Amino acid sequence: MAAQARVIVFCGKGGVGKSTLSVAMGLKLAQAGKRVLVVSSHPLEELAVAISLDNLAERFPEAAERLFVVYIDPVDQIRDLVETHFPLPMMARAVLNSSIFQNLIAVAPGLKEFFFLVRMQQLAERRAPERVNIPAYDDLIWDAPATGHFLSTLRAAKGFETYLTGPLSNAGAEMHRFFSAAGSMRIAAVTQPEEMAITETHELCEGLRRDFGIQPSTIILNAVSPVCLAEPEALATLDFAGSSAAMQFAIERGIAERELCDKLAVELPIRQLFVPRLAQGDGPPEESDLDLLEDLGHYLDLEQLA
Amino acid sequence: MKIIVCLGTGGVGKTSVSAATALSLARAGEKALVLTTDPSLRLKTALGLQSGMTEQKVPGVDGDLWAALLDVHTTLNDAVRMNAKRGEEEKILQHPIYKTIASSLSGMNELMALERISQLMSRGYQTIVVDTAPSRHVMEVLDKPLMFADLSASKKVKLVSRTYKFVEAMGLMSVGRSALEVYARAEEILGGSLVKQILDFYSLFYPVAEAYAERARKTGALLRDPSVTEFRVVTTPQKAMRDTEFFLSELAKRKFPVNMVCINRCWLRPLGEKPAGGLAGEVADWYESVSASHRAAIEVVKNEFAESVGRICVLDELPRDVDGAEALRSLETQLTSSDPT
Repeated sequence: MAAQARVIVFCGKGGVGKSTLSVAMGLKLAQAGKRVLVVSSHPLEELAVAISLDNLAERFPEAAERLFVVYIDPVDQIRDLVETHFPLPMMARAVLNSSIFQNLIAVAPGLKEFFFLVRMQQLAERRAPERVNIPAYDDLIWDAPATGHFLSTLRAAKGFETYLTGPLSNAGAEMHRFFSAAGSMRIAAVTQPEEMAITETHELCEGLRRDFGIQPSTIILNAVSPVCLAEPEALATLDFAGSSAAMQFAIERGIAERELCDKLAVELPIRQLFVPRLAQGDGPPEESDLDLLEDLGHYLDLEQLA
Repeated sequence: MKIIVCLGTGGVGKTSVSAATALSLARAGEKALVLTTDPSLRLKTALGLQSGMTEQKVPGVDGDLWAALLDVHTTLNDAVRMNAKRGEEEKILQHPIYKTIASSLSGMNELMALERISQLMSRGYQTIVVDTAPSRHVMEVLDKPLMFADLSASKKVKLVSRTYKFVEAMGLMSVGRSALEVYARAEEILGGSLVKQILDFYSLFYPVAEAYAERARKTGALLRDPSVTEFRVVTTPQKAMRDTEFFLSELAKRKFPVNMVCINRCWLRPLGEKPAGGLAGEVADWYESVSASHRAAIEVVKNEFAESVGRICVLDELPRDVDGAEALRSLETQLTSSDPT
């Protein structure tokens, strides 16, 4: 039995569907009987999928009991630390409220990222109550921030030496041990067949390779058209010239997307996983969102990701 | 002079819409400039933007259209070179804390946009269209105590900055009172070397912050003046409801009107006769389902916000083979001809 949760990271450009896929993956794993924690770097009310979670317990009572979604705010973690350090509430408040302390926190290199990672490591290694050696969660899914911030967060795991002299050194050593353990994380790079998103996928892979010597295990191409999923011989059946302007637009879009995916496969030899663009149902948003999450789950191949 | 601020989250085509907005003003006879953060390669080419700092006249356009790139690092480096005490520029630029400030401090993009606007204001543009960084927090810069302004105004920081070198020289870092006491507490928690580094940096940086804060205050005041500045929300059909709701309520808190909501990348062209079966059938189904969801989303936004927004403008997504310059022209035509709602 593993002593810690398996960590799966969904990272990539803003707006490509990381949060939705993270929660869809979490739901799928929870339905398969796993205890899952989705950790988000965004406040939950800003998640596109937040609305669906309201009705989760009604729709999927069993899965809902095993699926948890949290937002880690590093500022909260720092506040906790200060409050533990100064048992006198008045003293703790004085430090927290001073603009000097707030400024220090704001500019300390990697401090917020450091606290985020420490918290995540603690959650991944948390033990189930009363059951030694069994992790509280089987899977921890990190809905990561957009590429630049994601990379700088990971760098904080490397650059923790800054804090070694201070009282944070123990937490830093634990966190460093966790994140440098080989294969402790599976990284899914989420992107869309679109110029800027793909450029960012390149930047992500380059950053991971250069600074950490790792690569994503999968590139998820999200919201692709049927043309991306089609067999090559089917492409010849598309009659461009004889189609309406709208149909021409759709075919052209589909083929351009397919070419981008093929080019990416050559430039980055990493397994590609295609997730089609799925339509939401006609029902009220909170219900059709849940359908959407469940449908998306069908495309998230567990074997491929893990 | 007018400022048009385009707000929107990532991936909505905000830069293209901003550029098209500036183009429509240029075509109406104004000298207009678009200040952009992160244009795609094709748009960059279309705008004739090669290098970072100086603004460029956009080639092949009928009208006085200019474009400038906002490069956070270059702008901040320039501010340092301009305002630091002589001889201390390099110390600041090489300082580890400076690197954090430049690359990861939230709101840095917006702060540097203010700096760039203030640089550009004196150069005779009638309108500056600002393509903001793709963030939901972009408006905090209008009211949140500006970090730099705050920093330089804080008596404690001034005191500490000035006394720090003295205290350091005397090796009395842990003694002090009042402000120094807070630092001592912070040291207990964060570790001594880190706090020391930060103090060291502040003592070098505060002349830069002071000069910067002065300009930021002036530009900030213009952005808060509705007779100078107008706000537009750029979004896509899928995000239209959430984005419009969010930005409208944020702007309403500050008593700003939203002059326009542009719903970009809409698939509204009718499909015509539908091919039966096969891949063509699947593609047609895909197009229809996307198109139907776009129509529904636009309808909801129009019903909900027709009264609170000056104009809701719906823009067709362009085919991919339309290149940068042509795409801009097409967007501009749509912007100016779209029915006022």
